Amino acid sequence: MAKLLVVDDEANIRLLYSQELSDEGYQVVTAGSALEAVEKLESESFDLAVIDIKLKNESGIELLQRIVKERHTIPVILCTAFSCYKDDFSAWLADGYVVKSSDLQELKDEIARVLAKRQRLSQP
Amino acid sequence: MDWECCWSKEQIEPENCPYIGEGEEDLLVSQRRRIVEKCVECPRFKNDLARMKGSGYPLSDVLPYILTEFQEQKTQMGAMLSFLNSKTREIKFLREVGLVLQTSLDLDEVLSIAMTAITAGKGFGMNRAFLLMTDKDRRHIRGYLGVGPRDYEEAWRTWEDIGRSNFTLRQLARDFQKTKLSSEKVKFHDILNQLTVPMTDQGHIFNRALTGKKPILVENALNNPDLDRGLARILGVDTFLVMPLISRNRRIGVIIADNCITHKPITLQDMQSLETFAFPVAFALERASLYERLQEEVAKQKAANVKLREQQELIVKMEKMALVGKITSSIAHSIRNPLMVIGGFARTLLKATPDQDDKRGYLESIVRETRQLEDVLSEVLDYSESLFPVTDFWDLNELVGKAMTELEGALEQAGVRCRMELAPELPMVRIDYKQISYCLKTITTTALAAMERGGELRIESVLDGDGVLLRISDDGKPLTQTAQEALTAPFFQTQELGEGVGLSLCKSILERQGNSLSIISRPGGGNTYSIRLLTRKENI
Repeated sequence: MAKLLVVDDEANIRLLYSQELSDEGYQVVTAGSALEAVEKLESESFDLAVIDIKLKNESGIELLQRIVKERHTIPVILCTAFSCYKDDFSAWLADGYVVKSSDLQELKDEIARVLAKRQRLSQP
Repeated sequence: MDWECCWSKEQIEPENCPYIGEGEEDLLVSQRRRIVEKCVECPRFKNDLARMKGSGYPLSDVLPYILTEFQEQKTQMGAMLSFLNSKTREIKFLREVGLVLQTSLDLDEVLSIAMTAITAGKGFGMNRAFLLMTDKDRRHIRGYLGVGPRDYEEAWRTWEDIGRSNFTLRQLARDFQKTKLSSEKVKFHDILNQLTVPMTDQGHIFNRALTGKKPILVENALNNPDLDRGLARILGVDTFLVMPLISRNRRIGVIIADNCITHKPITLQDMQSLETFAFPVAFALERASLYERLQEEVAKQKAANVKLREQQELIVKMEKMALVGKITSSIAHSIRNPLMVIGGFARTLLKATPDQDDKRGYLESIVRETRQLEDVLSEVLDYSESLFPVTDFWDLNELVGKAMTELEGALEQAGVRCRMELAPELPMVRIDYKQISYCLKTITTTALAAMERGGELRIESVLDGDGVLLRISDDGKPLTQTAQEALTAPFFQTQELGEGVGLSLCKSILERQGNSLSIISRPGGGNTYSIRLLTRKENI
C-alpha cells in the first residue's frame, strides 16, 4: 500500500483528501504546514507527496525545493488553485501538477501515474 | 645736338620709339613716364650718353651711376612688389580658407576646400595633392583622397577650364565637392591603396614628418638611400613635399603635394605657405571627423532611447497585465478552495448514497453547480493568463550584458575573465526574458564551478540560420558524467540531484519555449554550452 503525504493549510481540504485517497487504497498522512511536513518526512518514509503551492505564510514551492535539496527521493505532485504557476519555473521541479477541483479524479490519476513511473524506474 | 633717343622730346610719333608697344600709346605724350619706363633701358639712349660724355657735358660722368642705381632699385622694387603681391594673395587666400575651415563641420567640405586650395592656381598652385589620414584606432595612415590631373592632357584641360572661369576659391571648392570629390577618390584609388603605412614604422617618411612636426621636401627620391623607393614609384615623381597634419598633439594625417606635370621646383616659400595652411586644415579635419563621430553617437543614442521607451511601455503594460493576473488568481484561490471542499464532500456523500435515496437529487445538484462554478473560474483564469505576455521579442545581446553585469562579483571571486563576442545586428529572439536570464546565470555558475583555477569564460552570440546561437565556453574541467546525465535524462527522473539540477531545469525551460540546450565537454578541459533560440513567432 503506497503511503502518501498530503500538505495543505486548510483542514477541510486535508479531510477531503484523506477520505478520498484512503478510499482509493492509499495510506494517507496529512500536514497543515511546511514545518509539519518536514518533520513527518524526517520521521517517516513516503512514496509520494501532494503539496499545495499556497500554504498560509509559506510557499509549497519552497517546500518542494527543500525536499529536492535535502535529497528526499520522493516524487512530488503540486496542487493549487493558481494557474499562474508558470511564472515560477521552480515549480517545474515537481513530477506532477494538478489544478484543484472538486472532482478529485485528476489528482487520483496523476498519483497513479507518478507512482507507476517510480515503480518502473526503480526496477533494474 | 641731335639725339638718337627721343628723351629730349616732349611728344613723339610712334615711329620714333620702337619699344613702345600696343596699349602704351599714352607714353607718346608723357615725356617723364617715357624716360622712366623706356629710355632708361633704350640702347639709343645709352649711345646718347656716350656722345654726351664726348661732348663734355658736366653731368655725363654722374649720370651712368644714377641710372645703374635707379635700375637696381627698380628691379628690387619689382621683386618686392611681386613678393608683396604673392603675400597679399596668400593672406587673402588663407583668410578665405580659414573662414571656410572655421565654419565647416562637414568633412567633405573641409577636404574639398583643403585640396582645392593646394592645387588651384589661385591657391598654392601645386599640380597634385594626396591626403592621407590616420584611421580610427590610430594604427595606420591611409590614403584617403587624391586631387589633380593624371596626365598632361587632363591638366591642360583643367587649367583651361579654370582659366576661363572666374570662380573664387570657395566656389571652386564647392564645385569640386559637388562634381569631383567621389570621382577623384576613384581616379586615384590604386595610388591611395598603396599608400597605407603602419604608424609603428618610425623610419617611414610619413611618420618622420609627423614626429618632427615639420614638412619634408623629398628630392631625387628615386636615388635617395634614406627613402623607400617604392613611394617614388607609386607617386611617379622624384620631387614631392610631405606635410604633416597635426592638431594639438594628435596626428591627423599627411598631405603629399607635387608638381608631377610642370616639374616646377618646390620652393622654400611654397613649403612655408603650405605649413601655415596645414595647421587650420588639420584642426578642421579633426573637428569635422569628431563631429561626424558625434553625429553617429547621437544617432545611436537616439535609437537606443526609442528602444528604451518601447521597452518601458512594454514593461508598464506587462506590469498592468501582471496585476490583473494577480488579482484574478487571488480571487480564484479564495473561491476555489471552499468550492472544492463543498463539491468534494458532495461527491463523497453521493458515492455513499444509495441509488433510490431522495437526497441524491440534492447532492447531484450541488456537484453540478459546483462544477459549473469551477468551469467559470477556469475561464476567468485562462483569460487573465492570456493577458499576461510571458514571451516576447528581446535583444539577446542586451540580456547577456545585463545578466553578466549581475554576475560580475561571482566572476571576480572565481578569478575568471569574461570575454564577450556578441555579433552585432542580431534579430530579436522570442523568449521569456526572466527565464532565459535564469538559464544564462545558471550555466555561468555551473561553468564557474568547473573553473577552479580561474581562466577565461567566453560568451558568443551568432546568427544561426533562422535562430540565434548563444555559446558559453569555459576552460575548466569537463563536466562529470552525473551532470551530463542529469542534463540528458528526461526531466527530474534520475533523482541525482547534484550539480545537474540547475542545468536540467535550464534544459526544461528552454525546451518548453521551443529552444534547445546542448553541452560539449572536451576531454582536455573545457565545456561549451550552446543555447539555440528562435527568432520566428510561429515557432512558439
